[in-house]
Amino acid sequence: MPAGVSSLLTSDQVSALKILPVEPGTVGPCPVASDALQGIKRQQTNPARWNGAGWEAFVAALRATGVELAEGPVACGVYATDAGGTAYGLPHGVVIAHSAAQVAALLKAAQTHRVPVTVRGGGLTTEGESVAFGGVLLDMTGMSRVLNIDATGLTVRTEAGIFWHGLAEELRREGLDYLSAPLNLTSSVGGTLGVGGIDVNSARLGCSADQAISLQVVTPTGEIVECSDSENAELFQRVILGYGQFGVITEATLRIRPYTPLAMRYFYYSSLRTAIEDLQMLDAADASDYSGILTIMDCAVNLLVAFDSDEREAAFRKNWKSKLRGYGEFGFALCMAGHYALRPWRIGEALYLLRRKREVFPEFRRPEYMRNGKMHDRTVVYSRAVWKHWGSRNMVIPDLATSTERFIEAVERGNAVCRRFFPHYTLYCVGIKLRPEHQAHYEMSCVPPGVQDRAYGCEFEPMIEGAVYSRDHFQSFKNAIYDIGVDMGASYYRFGGMMKGYIRRVFGDALVDKHLAMKRQADPAMILNRDVIF
Amino acid sequence: MFGLTPPAPVMPRDFSACSGCSLCVLVCPMWRARRDPRFSAEGLAKAQQCGATAAELAAPIEACSLCGACDPVCPERIDLSGMIMGLRQRLTNSVPPRTPPPAVLGDLSAMLQKASGAPAAEGAVSRAAPVLLPGPDLRADAELLARVQALVGLVLFDDDGADIVLALELGVEIPHARLHGFLDALRGHSIVAADGLLLRQLRRWLPGSQRMSLGAALSTRAAVRSNLVPSDLYVIEPRAFHGDYERMVGYYDRLQRETGCSLSQDLQRIAIPATSSELGQKLGLVAGDDVQAKWLLQGRKPARIIVENLADRAAFRRVCEIPVLHVAELGEDPEMIKSRPHAFG
Repeated sequence: MPAGVSSLLTSDQVSALKILPVEPGTVGPCPVASDALQGIKRQQTNPARWNGAGWEAFVAALRATGVELAEGPVACGVYATDAGGTAYGLPHGVVIAHSAAQVAALLKAAQTHRVPVTVRGGGLTTEGESVAFGGVLLDMTGMSRVLNIDATGLTVRTEAGIFWHGLAEELRREGLDYLSAPLNLTSSVGGTLGVGGIDVNSARLGCSADQAISLQVVTPTGEIVECSDSENAELFQRVILGYGQFGVITEATLRIRPYTPLAMRYFYYSSLRTAIEDLQMLDAADASDYSGILTIMDCAVNLLVAFDSDEREAAFRKNWKSKLRGYGEFGFALCMAGHYALRPWRIGEALYLLRRKREVFPEFRRPEYMRNGKMHDRTVVYSRAVWKHWGSRNMVIPDLATSTERFIEAVERGNAVCRRFFPHYTLYCVGIKLRPEHQAHYEMSCVPPGVQDRAYGCEFEPMIEGAVYSRDHFQSFKNAIYDIGVDMGASYYRFGGMMKGYIRRVFGDALVDKHLAMKRQADPAMILNRDVIF
Repeated sequence: MFGLTPPAPVMPRDFSACSGCSLCVLVCPMWRARRDPRFSAEGLAKAQQCGATAAELAAPIEACSLCGACDPVCPERIDLSGMIMGLRQRLTNSVPPRTPPPAVLGDLSAMLQKASGAPAAEGAVSRAAPVLLPGPDLRADAELLARVQALVGLVLFDDDGADIVLALELGVEIPHARLHGFLDALRGHSIVAADGLLLRQLRRWLPGSQRMSLGAALSTRAAVRSNLVPSDLYVIEPRAFHGDYERMVGYYDRLQRETGCSLSQDLQRIAIPATSSELGQKLGLVAGDDVQAKWLLQGRKPARIIVENLADRAAFRRVCEIPVLHVAELGEDPEMIKSRPHAFG
C-alpha cells in the first residue's frame, strides 16, 4: 500500500477493503500465506515496487557515512533484470560493495529508514530474486578479490562477490582448483553459497555450499560476524542455503584441491529411465569422479562420466563400464537412424537432433581445452557452451529435487510437461551428496525434506531459440513442474522470487512460520532481499 | 605464413541483443581496475538498453582500451568493441567534445588532411608483395626494426596508417580520400601489421586480403620459435588476437603445444592485455598504471617474458626484474646464444 494511504482511510473502509494496515516501508504479516495463489490466475507475480517513502532522508544519512550511492538509468540499468529475463525492476539507487564495513553501514541505515536492500552477485537468478523492485541494489561483485590461498591446508579465503571464474583463475595459477561450483562462471561465490550450487561432481562432493568452512557475514542489522559450524553456528546454518534472508556474505573460506584435467566419457541412451538408473548405479558405487545427464529432449540422453585420474578411470572400465546400457556415439547414431527410419513422420525431430549435435558437440571438444585426450578447465568449456547454446534473453529453468527413489518418476512427469509446453528442451540431472552434519543447513532449502544420503535434482529448460513466449506461458510451465513437486513432496532450487507462492505448499506452515519468526528477529524492518522468500 | 583461410564473417549484432550473461565482464580490464559493472561492455550495452546517451556514458567509453577481449566471448555475437568505437565517435562529435582536447583533434585533423593529399605509399613495392606496417614505436627503434625485417623478410610499407589508427582510437571521422588512398595502396598485398586495431579494421575494410599480426608473423619463424622454451611467458598482442579470434586461438594453441611456453591467456583463452591504456593515458593526459602487467604476473614465475608489443615490454620492465624481450629479440638473448648457438636458422 502506498505511503500514507492507510491513514487516509477510516478503519471501516480498511476493513471493508480487507486490507490490513501496513506500516509504510514494511511488508505484511505473511506475504507467502497459504492462500497466496487462491483466486489469482496463474500469472507471473512480480512483487510490488517499493513506494520510496523516506528515500531522500536515507540517501542523505547513507552519504553522511561515506557510502557512495549511484542513481539514474546509467547506474541502475545494468540491473534491470536477471538471467531469467522475465522479471524487470529498477532500484532507486545502487551501491557497489567495497568492504564489510561499508555493507554494514548500508544495512544499518536501511534498517533505520526501512529501505529494502536487494543483494546481487552474478545476477544468475531466474525468478527475479536479484532484481530490485525499488530501494537499494547492493552489487557484491565489487568485493571480488582472493584474500589468501593456503596451498598446504587446501583452503582459500576470498571476498564473496568474486565470480567463480575469477576464483578459478587465481587458483589455477597455483595449480589448485575449487571443489565444486555451478557450471556457470558468472555465478558469484556468495550467491552460490546462499542457494546451493550444483556441479557434475556434486554426487560425490556435495553442493558448493557444503564446501564453505566459514563465512564473514553482515547481518541485516549491520553487525559484521564471523561464523562457521563451531562459531556462531546458528547464523552459519541460516546463511548457508538461506536465500539471502539472514545476512550478506562478504567473505568465505572454502575448501580447495589440487587441479587436475579430466577424462570425459559419454554414453548415449534413448530412454530417460535407463539412463537415470545407470547414473544412480554409478553414483551409489562411487564409480566416477563426475557424473550427470544432459539431454536433447528425451530423444538423446547423454550420461557423462569423468575422472580425475587414470586409476579411477581404469577401475571404472574394469568394474562398471560393461554394466552401462548406453551406446557410444557411433552406436547411438546407428540406433537413431534405425529408429527414425521406421518413423518417417518424425523426421523434423531427427533433423533437430542432428543440427543440435553439429552445433553443440564441437564446443565440448575445442582443441585449446584438450591435451592428451583430457579436458582442461571444464567449467569454462561448459559455461561458454551453456551461454552459447542454451542461453537467451529468457532463461526459464524450473527444477525438481527428490530422493533417489522418487527421482525417475519426477523426471518422467516433468518431461511430459516439457513436451506439452515446448517443442524443444533440455534436461540436466545430477546427484547431490548430502552431509549428515549439515542437516541443519538444509532446512527449508533445495534439499528435499527427510532425504539423508543423496538427493537428485533435475532442471527442465526449454530451448527458446528466438521464439517469443508470453511470461504467462513461462509461468504456467513452471507451475506445472512445481505442482509435480508439491504432489511428490519434492523440493526446488528456485523457490524464491516469482515462485515463492509455493513455499508454504512445499515446506508446510510450521517450518515456514519458524523461519519467518527467525527472519523477523534478525531483520526487524524486513529490508534484506525482501520478496525473495519473505 | 598466409596459408590459413579467414573464416566466413558472421553478422554482428548490436547492444539490444545483450542478455546480461557477464562473460565480457570476466575478461574486461577496465572492470578489473574498478570492479564496477558500468565499466564493462555489458554495462554499456545494458545502459543503452535503458536509453542512456553517449554523453552519460562518457567515463566508461573513454576508459575502454579497445583490447577487444569482450568480442570473442560474447555468446550473442555482439560487436562490442565496434559498439564502443561507435559510442566514442558519438562522444567526440558531441558538443562540447570530451576527452580529446581541441589541440589533439586539430593536429590529427591536419595529419589526416595532409596524408589525404599525399601520393600513394607504394614506392618500389610490387603489387603482390607482402608488406610490413611496423607502426611508429617499432620505426623509432631502428635496430629492432632491422631484426624484424630480417626475420620476416618483408618490405617496409611507407604508410603505417598511424593517423588512421589514432582517428579510430579517438572516434574521429577519417576523411574519405585518406582512407581510400590508404586502402587502395594496400589492396593486393599480403599485410603484416604491428597495430592490432588497424588489423581488426583491415579485416573489415579489405575482407579478401591476407593479414597477419607482427607477433604471429615473427613467431612462425623457426629462428624465433626454436628459442621459445617452457619457462617463457609469451605475451600476445591482444587486439590482433581478439580481432581474428577463431583463427588465432588455434594458432597460439599450436605454438604453446610445440614450444611448451606459457601464454598470456586466461581460462577462457582470451589474451590478457598487459597494458590497458585509457584514452586519457594514450594522450598523455593521465598517468598510466601497471595493474594489468601485475595481474598477468600474479602467481606466475617465468624465467623470461616474451612480448609482441613494445608497450608491453616497457610495462613489464617497470613491474618486475624478469628479463623482458621483444619476440624479435629472442635470437639475441645472450643466455640463449650461450645455451643454443645453433638456433638462428
